[in-house]
Amino acid sequence: MSDSPILFVRTAAKRFGGTVVLEDMNLMVERGSIHALVGESGAGKSTLVKVLAGMIRPDGGTIEFDGKKAIIDSPSAARKLGIGVVMQRPGQFPERPVLANLFVNREPVHNGLISRREMEARSRDLLRQLGLAIDVHAPLGDLGPGDRQLVAIARVLLESPRLLVLDDPNSALDQQQNERLSAALRGLTAKGMSVLYASNRLGDALAIADQLTVMRNGRDVLTKARQDLTTSEEAMIGQLRQSLFPLPLRALPQHAGTLRPRIFVDGLAGGLLSSASLTAHAGEILGIAGTAGQDLLALLFGLKKPRQGKVRFPDGDGLPKTRMEAARRNICMVSGDRGSGLMPDKSIAFNMASVVVGARSWGSRWYSPRSAIDRATRQIEALRIRSAPEMPAGSLSAGGQQKVAIAKWLEIGPQVMLLDEPARGVDIGSKQEIYALIRQMAASGCIVILHSSELSELTGLCDRILAFHQGKLAGEIAGDDMDTGMLARLIASGKPTDERLRGKQENAA
Amino acid sequence: MTGIDTAPTLAGSANHPPRRRLRLPAETGAVIALAVLVALLGWLSPSFLEPASLLSVLGQAALPGLLAIGMVFVLAARQIDISAGAVFHLAATIAALLIIAGTNPWLAALAGVAAGAGLGLINGLLVIALRLPALLVTLGTWWMIQGLSLVVGKGQTIAPPGQDVLAALSGNAFVIVPATGIIFVVLAVAMHVVLHRTRFGYRVQAVGSNPQAAAHAGIPTGNVRVLTLVLMGAMAGLAGVIHIGAHGAVAPGDGGTFALLAIAAAIIGGTPLSGGTGSVIGAAIGMLVLQTILSAMTLLGVDAIWAAFATGALIVLALAVDRLIRLWRERRTGYGRDDPLG
Repeated sequence: MSDSPILFVRTAAKRFGGTVVLEDMNLMVERGSIHALVGESGAGKSTLVKVLAGMIRPDGGTIEFDGKKAIIDSPSAARKLGIGVVMQRPGQFPERPVLANLFVNREPVHNGLISRREMEARSRDLLRQLGLAIDVHAPLGDLGPGDRQLVAIARVLLESPRLLVLDDPNSALDQQQNERLSAALRGLTAKGMSVLYASNRLGDALAIADQLTVMRNGRDVLTKARQDLTTSEEAMIGQLRQSLFPLPLRALPQHAGTLRPRIFVDGLAGGLLSSASLTAHAGEILGIAGTAGQDLLALLFGLKKPRQGKVRFPDGDGLPKTRMEAARRNICMVSGDRGSGLMPDKSIAFNMASVVVGARSWGSRWYSPRSAIDRATRQIEALRIRSAPEMPAGSLSAGGQQKVAIAKWLEIGPQVMLLDEPARGVDIGSKQEIYALIRQMAASGCIVILHSSELSELTGLCDRILAFHQGKLAGEIAGDDMDTGMLARLIASGKPTDERLRGKQENAA
Repeated sequence: MTGIDTAPTLAGSANHPPRRRLRLPAETGAVIALAVLVALLGWLSPSFLEPASLLSVLGQAALPGLLAIGMVFVLAARQIDISAGAVFHLAATIAALLIIAGTNPWLAALAGVAAGAGLGLINGLLVIALRLPALLVTLGTWWMIQGLSLVVGKGQTIAPPGQDVLAALSGNAFVIVPATGIIFVVLAVAMHVVLHRTRFGYRVQAVGSNPQAAAHAGIPTGNVRVLTLVLMGAMAGLAGVIHIGAHGAVAPGDGGTFALLAIAAAIIGGTPLSGGTGSVIGAAIGMLVLQTILSAMTLLGVDAIWAAFATGALIVLALAVDRLIRLWRERRTGYGRDDPLG
């Protein structure tokens, strides 16, 4: 094995329209090592991965692979070089059997026919290594999300790449699967494969990596070997996140005994959620951690039907049955899934009228473009959206689009604001502004419930956080207990106490 | 109009100033096409420019034009209705048979319109209940309704006795303006306002632009879809009733091409098949374009057997132009293609 690095990225740059995604990005991956690439979502990790996959052409910079300058202008060029990429959302074929998903477009052929036997033989060892005890002839769609993710990784590994690039591979994996994957990756790197492991979970990345690069705003801010990383530097990486969050606004002084509007949830179950009981007060930001949080918000917004349980909203009524009813009762929801928030080909003014004009059945039966433009002008100024009301909403950056999705609700004076990953995929600047906006909503007396898979977002923004483990409420943390590590343990195991004590002892030592 | 940027500029945050583009109204293409066609025909055969012959084109455009008005709403909501021609025929047949049976002509007319709306409601409920694309549902109901017309009308031309109130529709106002043409123009303008200035019109466009986002904002998307198809059926029914009045009879095969003509007219008039927006006035002009071409063919002595081919070719041409303009525009603005973080 030679000592030269397998991958060298120098001053890579990429912009989409007006949004700078990569700017002076440098990266060096050693041979036979696992290199973690960490950063907030929106920092540019996925874009860099797509550049390496040949799906996006960079505007500038050079890439050297195996000591030679490489031009990766297509996915097949990447494959030819020996770069195997597992995307964040890999394209898979849920109706087709697992085997077909493992050998996409590379099926072994015998006498002009695809040989299932050979496919089985070739994949057997790898699947065992990854701990995939599955029926390879069953359709992929029958598997859980974690297994599907592992199949996607196995598909790339079967091409025996020299550099494996994983983009946020563990988001769908549970603890056990994650450990198996780590072990499998270790085994493969020992045989000379290199791994670039992009993730926004610092803890996971630190656990597996030999080297680490921190990425922010499309640049590399820090690169170090894992063992050289001092505790203060680790803390610093953590702090990069904290600076994103504005200081809490305390507009509503918490007088004892004052009656604030609140939502009572009693024994609510539906989707992944099983019998949750909680209360959310006006003026606070209540964080929901764990995958069941998404279902809780969907239930509260009338998107899903509950199996059981009771809810009382501040207006005295129960769960809304439809989204229309929710909108008419000033229950608002913003989702990180941008497809559900925006009509990209319509103007910003049109988009901002969608609740006021579209959802309500009272008020004027007429739609006045002029008042729509007035409304949009007001919100554009208030939310610092950098565009004009007549522009199509799709021409905005991701952050701008998300602000439009929020603004349409602000027009009706929301009473309950349900936020599901509200800042996902948004650039850092807009992220800060959206966070400030969320704080403002709470301060103005709105009940804000925030679900996010980014734990730092929850600890940075919320007054209280409820952690869900396998659909059950595992615990509540507030005040000084706020800490992503503790939250992660609560979600993963459902039991904070013993590990928390251990954590405190470590701190004391 | 743009907000003053007081925020510090951060690396990676979006700071592009809004570019103002000259946006031509959606009807531009149809207007230009109509003007060029009329000028060309006037040059080839000056008699075409006489008011009487121009207005007769308006009269021919009126009935399929009413369907085009409804079709704009359907397309703007990202639906399609290819059964509209059959609905037209069945409504006309029902109205004619009722008149023959001695019903008051006004009641018979009302029954025709109601039958059209009812058929639209069936289409709409099938689309919503089965979650099928409107294309498939209306393909099926098209054949069903066509078959029903044959059964009800026994496959024969039905001519209700004349001398009734509806026959006024065959006449002209102000000596030369066809009555059907007036109804068409008035309705086109009114429905244009409905599409662009009312809550219903707003909802139609929102549902067509992004059904998911519309539902998420609390817009009752199912109701809106059903209502557009009901409106389409009612317009087709109205056209059928007017057909009885204006032509005095309904023959098998009448209105067979109307649905496709209406779709073509809507597309020529600037309503995209992908929904989200629409122009009723554009569709009306689009129908005039189509009828001008069809009457030009007779005027220039092209054999009538080519009419069907020409209509089909026009539809394909309109689709191709619509798609090309869209692709070109997307390339120029650059949005919708590259999602940096998607």
